[in-house]
Amino acid sequence: MTTLTHNPAASDPATSRPVPQPKKSLITRLHMGTGMVVGIVFCWGTYFVLRHHFSSPYRINHDEGLTDSHNVNITLLASMFMWCLGFLIGIGALIGPFRWLIGKDLTAEEQLYLAGDGQDWKRYFRYCTDHKVVGIQYLVGVMTLLGAGGTMAMMIRTNLVTPGSHFVAPHVYNSLVGLHGITMIIALIIVSTGPFGNFIMPIMIGAADMAFPRLNALSWWVLFTAIPVLCSAWFLGGIPTGWTAYAPLSTQAGPGMNAFLATIIIFALSTAVAGANITTTVVAMRAKGMTWNRVPIFVVGATISVALAVPAFPTFMAAMIQTGLDRTFATGFYDANVGGSGWLYANLFWIMGHPEVYVILIPGVAALMEIAPVFVRKPLFSYGAAIAGFAGIAGLSILVWAHHMYMSGWMPSLNGPFMVTTEFISIPTGLLFLVLIGTMWRGRPWMKLPMLSVYAFIWDFLIGGITGIYLSDVPADNYLHGSMYVTAHFHYTLMGAALTGAIGGLAFWFPKMTGRMLNERGGYISFWLVQIGFNVLFLGMFLSGAEGQPRRVADYAQIFAHANLISTAGAYSVGLGALILLWSIIHSARSGKIAPMNPWGSKTLEWTVPYPVPLVNFDEPPVVTSDPYGYGRSVK
Amino acid sequence: MANQIEFYVHHDSPEKVGRRERLGVRILIVADGSFLFAMIFSWFYLRNLNTNNAWLPKGVHSYTAASGWWAVAAFIVAAIVHRSGLAKASNRKMTSVIALLALTIGMVYQWNQMAHMPFIAQDAAGRNFYNGAYASNWVLLAGANMFHYIITIFIALGLVIRGYRASVDPVLEEWRQRTAGSWFTWCAVAGILAAFTTSFK
Repeated sequence: MTTLTHNPAASDPATSRPVPQPKKSLITRLHMGTGMVVGIVFCWGTYFVLRHHFSSPYRINHDEGLTDSHNVNITLLASMFMWCLGFLIGIGALIGPFRWLIGKDLTAEEQLYLAGDGQDWKRYFRYCTDHKVVGIQYLVGVMTLLGAGGTMAMMIRTNLVTPGSHFVAPHVYNSLVGLHGITMIIALIIVSTGPFGNFIMPIMIGAADMAFPRLNALSWWVLFTAIPVLCSAWFLGGIPTGWTAYAPLSTQAGPGMNAFLATIIIFALSTAVAGANITTTVVAMRAKGMTWNRVPIFVVGATISVALAVPAFPTFMAAMIQTGLDRTFATGFYDANVGGSGWLYANLFWIMGHPEVYVILIPGVAALMEIAPVFVRKPLFSYGAAIAGFAGIAGLSILVWAHHMYMSGWMPSLNGPFMVTTEFISIPTGLLFLVLIGTMWRGRPWMKLPMLSVYAFIWDFLIGGITGIYLSDVPADNYLHGSMYVTAHFHYTLMGAALTGAIGGLAFWFPKMTGRMLNERGGYISFWLVQIGFNVLFLGMFLSGAEGQPRRVADYAQIFAHANLISTAGAYSVGLGALILLWSIIHSARSGKIAPMNPWGSKTLEWTVPYPVPLVNFDEPPVVTSDPYGYGRSVK
Repeated sequence: MANQIEFYVHHDSPEKVGRRERLGVRILIVADGSFLFAMIFSWFYLRNLNTNNAWLPKGVHSYTAASGWWAVAAFIVAAIVHRSGLAKASNRKMTSVIALLALTIGMVYQWNQMAHMPFIAQDAAGRNFYNGAYASNWVLLAGANMFHYIITIFIALGLVIRGYRASVDPVLEEWRQRTAGSWFTWCAVAGILAAFTTSFK
């Protein structure tokens, strides 16, 4: 395997060429700043117009001295969506569709300008269609969301350090739990498919670009607009519902709930666009010779994940729109007085909610399957079993949603069938373990940072998976549901598996994305602090949950004190480890050791291109003649 | 520079780009179909549950089954007309205009229905609310129809304008017409499913 050393600062082909200057094009004048200005103008303009409209004498019920909460909700939701629309107009996202409408398609120079060709760091703040730029934007966005969600987690654990600590008020604690949940869920949905699915995946399949470069940029910037909307929940009184936002609690909640609804609707739009783009790219733009059995396993996993998200998330969006209509126009989807039902919400939510777990999980596992053969220098054990595992999980995941509703009273006669389908899912999940262990079997692993994540995943996900089987069992769930046991279980699954996989992926692809090696010492220290802290945190939570401590409650009885103290100590260790990882990433990206073109000796296509990756990725379209895991011997 | 532009913008043939765009639209149709499924599920779930006998309370007016079918007739007409334009390129300008007109009439009809809903009541504080789960579900399905009308009219208007401009790649444009045909057909199917659903009061 040939390895070449490249100095990222020396010859960046993207910035060494002259910047294309499309004549008299508005595109060259728009960027994130103009987007913010137009978005804020739209938002505040809408707010003041509607405030004025609803404050008119005809609209206020002076007899009761109350402002109609429906009108407040209309005002806030409209302002949030107008922020989103205004930002997209201001950054130039709608120029393409408008130009299509009037029959004046973007010129070649305009398209090249949009791709960021010849531009410096400013392209990261424009509506840039280069998939590498979008990948880095997603990476920064994910890290921001994880940082925000992690900070909230630290506050939650600090509040629970001793009984009656009162670090935060109970209503603030409720909001912390809900906003931590939704922030982390959004971050984890995009944690692998966002950065690696955009930056790495097109190169892995030998494509010159994504199928729809403008939609690619749109998916990121639409998601970006959701972040301030979600943050605004804090200034509007928070959310009292947890991330599940069960109705009718959510329809009766204060103004902060509007931020939650708008975030989910905007995020679902972003996901649909990204899902269509990634799926089309993989189906239609693979290199010559890359038959389906030669597609790298990460690409398969990411594609199955987004293909699952495309039909799953709209049901969540529908539930949010119904909640929004109940809050604004006094419909009655979830109001039993006018024929509605909270069970409708629960069904729509979990029809999305359970597949979403696997939307999060599959790309992380697939990244680790990409890593294991490289560091063990053995072929991936049973590529077919890996695909069967992913496909089986994806297929079964749409048949298990009601296991979240065993104790809700909805259709008790279906508890048995849903218990069986849920337990069946352990079979394809077992295949994933089989593939990873089979790959490592009798190998001589190269114990670098990415490989450590494979081991961590096997340990963490084994615990997360087995405790999930207990919870899928109706009698056991009768006792354990609503307890900290459930919280520990899904953290072992989502954080222990998906986030661990994503961190492994970052350590693996960091040299390709930044041109520099990730600081190893910082990475190792972070890894052990996070993994030891994580297990202390959530094994303690299993203990308190099994003893009966309810989740989402700001205070607890003295008998849970020791377990909570242990958990909080573990949480601080995770927090410290995360900070060290963040420092390592920033420090390494700025001044880390220059990376060779293929530091790990991998055989997939992304390692055949230099850093910085050229605009069209490959000088010549690659031709694939073998599978990507043809390793025969160990590396020293 | 010129080579770079040429390679970046035209690295695939118009035929490949066209097929790719059609696949992308079809995947987005899957997402839209899932949203429609959620609305139809809501309709039949709440109708069969009939909580507090308030699906359609006594004395509350409803739309006739036929009105739902009238609201989607324009989608069906537009899809058929667009298909006929695909079959015979010489008629395409005319069929694009007819499809646009049909869709505009359909949207106005749908808007009119939504502006005169018969099931809005007032509570003790004088605030409007939708009386019955039927009313809530009806307004959501009508809203989805309206959303489809807005998107489809945007596309139809674009096809009309582009039909009179010569500055477009004819091969890629042919594929875009077919891609638009997938969307037109889907909107007709979605409209039929919605009308079928609202026929069950």
